[in-house]
Amino acid sequence: MNRVGITGFGVVSPIGVAREAFWQSLADGRGGIGPITRFDCSAFSVRLAGEVKQRAEVPAGDRVDAIDAIDGIDAISATAATAGVAADDPKVGFALAACAEALGQAGIASLTRDTLLHLGVSLEAFDMQKAICGGRPDFRSIAERSMRPGAPPLQIPLDTASRLIARRFGVPGRSLTNCSACAAGAQAIGHAFRCVRAGRCAAAVCGGLDSMINPLGVGGFQMLGALTTDNARGESACRPFDASRSGTVLGEGAAVVVLEPLDAARAAGKRVLAEVCGYGSTLDAWSLSAPDPEGDGAARAMLAALDDAGIRAEQIAHINAHGTATRVNDEVEAAAIRRVFARTWQRIPVSSTKSMTGHLIAAAGAVEVGACLLALVMKQVPPNPFLNSVGQGCELAHVGHAAVPFDGEYVMSNSFGFGGQNVSLVLRRCDG
Amino acid sequence: MADVVATGIGLVTSLGATADETAAAWRAGGCALRRPLGEFDGTALAGSETAVLPAFDASARLGGRRMLKFMSHAAVLGCMAAREACSQAATRRRFEPGRVGLFCATGLAAAGVQDVAPLIEQSTDEHGRFSCRLLGERGLPATNPLLSFKILANMPPCLVSIQESIKGPNYIFTPWESQSAAALLEAWQAVAEGEVQCAVVGAADSPSNPAAFVFLRQAGLLGADEYPADGAAYVVLESAESAARSGQPVLARVDSVDLRPVSSRPCDPLGNRMGRTFAAAPMIWFALACLGCGATAAVAGSSFVCPDYAAPGSRWELRIEARGAA
Repeated sequence: MNRVGITGFGVVSPIGVAREAFWQSLADGRGGIGPITRFDCSAFSVRLAGEVKQRAEVPAGDRVDAIDAIDGIDAISATAATAGVAADDPKVGFALAACAEALGQAGIASLTRDTLLHLGVSLEAFDMQKAICGGRPDFRSIAERSMRPGAPPLQIPLDTASRLIARRFGVPGRSLTNCSACAAGAQAIGHAFRCVRAGRCAAAVCGGLDSMINPLGVGGFQMLGALTTDNARGESACRPFDASRSGTVLGEGAAVVVLEPLDAARAAGKRVLAEVCGYGSTLDAWSLSAPDPEGDGAARAMLAALDDAGIRAEQIAHINAHGTATRVNDEVEAAAIRRVFARTWQRIPVSSTKSMTGHLIAAAGAVEVGACLLALVMKQVPPNPFLNSVGQGCELAHVGHAAVPFDGEYVMSNSFGFGGQNVSLVLRRCDG
Repeated sequence: MADVVATGIGLVTSLGATADETAAAWRAGGCALRRPLGEFDGTALAGSETAVLPAFDASARLGGRRMLKFMSHAAVLGCMAAREACSQAATRRRFEPGRVGLFCATGLAAAGVQDVAPLIEQSTDEHGRFSCRLLGERGLPATNPLLSFKILANMPPCLVSIQESIKGPNYIFTPWESQSAAALLEAWQAVAEGEVQCAVVGAADSPSNPAAFVFLRQAGLLGADEYPADGAAYVVLESAESAARSGQPVLARVDSVDLRPVSSRPCDPLGNRMGRTFAAAPMIWFALACLGCGATAAVAGSSFVCPDYAAPGSRWELRIEARGAA
């Protein structure tokens, strides 16, 4: 079994594009949430989101224009790429940019047949105008229009980012697209970790991407009552574990890590940023929209990750909570943490970085693994800048308004998905 | 490595609403009935056909209507297939839920026209343009608030987890055949390596809905001589030792599951008789192999070659060695 190191990390987020900007915002407690500018949301009750404001540079590449006639779908992806697929589906561009940054840090020029590509993503972007003909959803007209030469694709399948990454950076040995909602990015990293550890691939490029900041995405979550309508709060609208929390805020972005066998990476002279050493994955089997009220699924995911890492709960020195700022989820997660870390929870600093980034859904887990990774590298844990009064039942050792020094060895990142999918990952400090 | 066996199989396909019906029709050389997709009359897609699913009573098979309102068509099919497989394997009675894994694949996002029509109609302005303002003012209030549950890709497997009380390790991949094959490989490995006591593995897809159909034809993924079919398959895998210990009848021994890169053309060996079920196809093929009481060749005469669209030019050959226990 290989030990598994992270040799590259790339990120596009509402609080910064690229590692340095992302970390600086995290450390400074600067939020990226503000009024939605992507579309006219004036008639929505939800009017805030964490948008990526800085342009994410999508690296150019001559592979993008290649068309493989046998796999017909490639013609569409090529068209979409040359037309700037990021305009139709921003998350795809975010993923390309994050991947480029991660590969660059890992010193990997291209993906090869012994590389695994595994990305988490949640929901297809859907241009509502494409579904309208003659003022209504008339599939006869839509079909007629869509079948004309050069017509844009009616759907943008969830594996589009992977396909474009393969075109730009080379074809991986296997490409997986994970759709486990808010746990997808973390699950992709966990699976990739297992594959590298077992020697099933020589390296893995993994993470998540998402953007639900579109009319249907925001509208759908608004209907479910998961988003705060406290629009006047602006930057501080997402307040995980706070007594006044009123719902989450959508964010967008992508994060990608490169995993390699630790010893091989060191032998190749690479800097190993941190070690991934534990992964746990469970299901609540309780409800589509609410967590198991006892936090059983969340607790089992954390315990499974600890067991996988071969460490005791007392060895975890920092937790990046899922912390969505919804009433029920935060209470359940806090209770689960207190149960798993019964002897130490009062001194484990907990950061909830969705307060700054918003909830990046399928990308959230990967972005938060990045936050853990940088906490280890930068020797600081991020603050909770908008947590003023801890809510009842949410008692944990929450970090205050400022980042705190940190020299712990093990950290945990939690991701608990809509539908009841839970993932916990354990990272270990790996200086040098 | 443990010996892996199949102890439960569930199918809903164009050849039958249960595993037994599907297997019997397959063995008898049956082909799916087809009907024209009327939505496309008078268009370039006129005359396009889809396979007809046999009649079934979802509420009876799932024990009530309560959860149906959350389910897309694919979710209904998946939950029915999973219920059949898990009931046969008695998973609830024999396994601790946390030691049962769920390994699934789902297809393209496929909300039904009836689900999104009110939203779109109410959000269209007098010029026939989609209006965000109208969406907020009229479209959202006119829409079923549960629409998101029907659209999110992970919902069909999560519904299976709730219905069957599955609480262990899990993966959900999407949206094509290669991802379904990967889920099967993960499930087989998880049982063989002892990560789970039992793996519930399956897929459901509904490519015959108009939006998916248009896209599949537009992208060249569904040839002019091919037709889509909705379908689902679930199989329960466990170790031979576990089945023997509890006296659980073994339906098939699954000696290996392998995914190998190949250069041959994609091949869905079910397509010409059952219709193209895309993400569900490798799982249906595997279930039929387990029911075939013989070698894989009894099912298809060839392996399943999945194009990996996310890795341009890549194709994966799914090979299984499954022996019926009879």
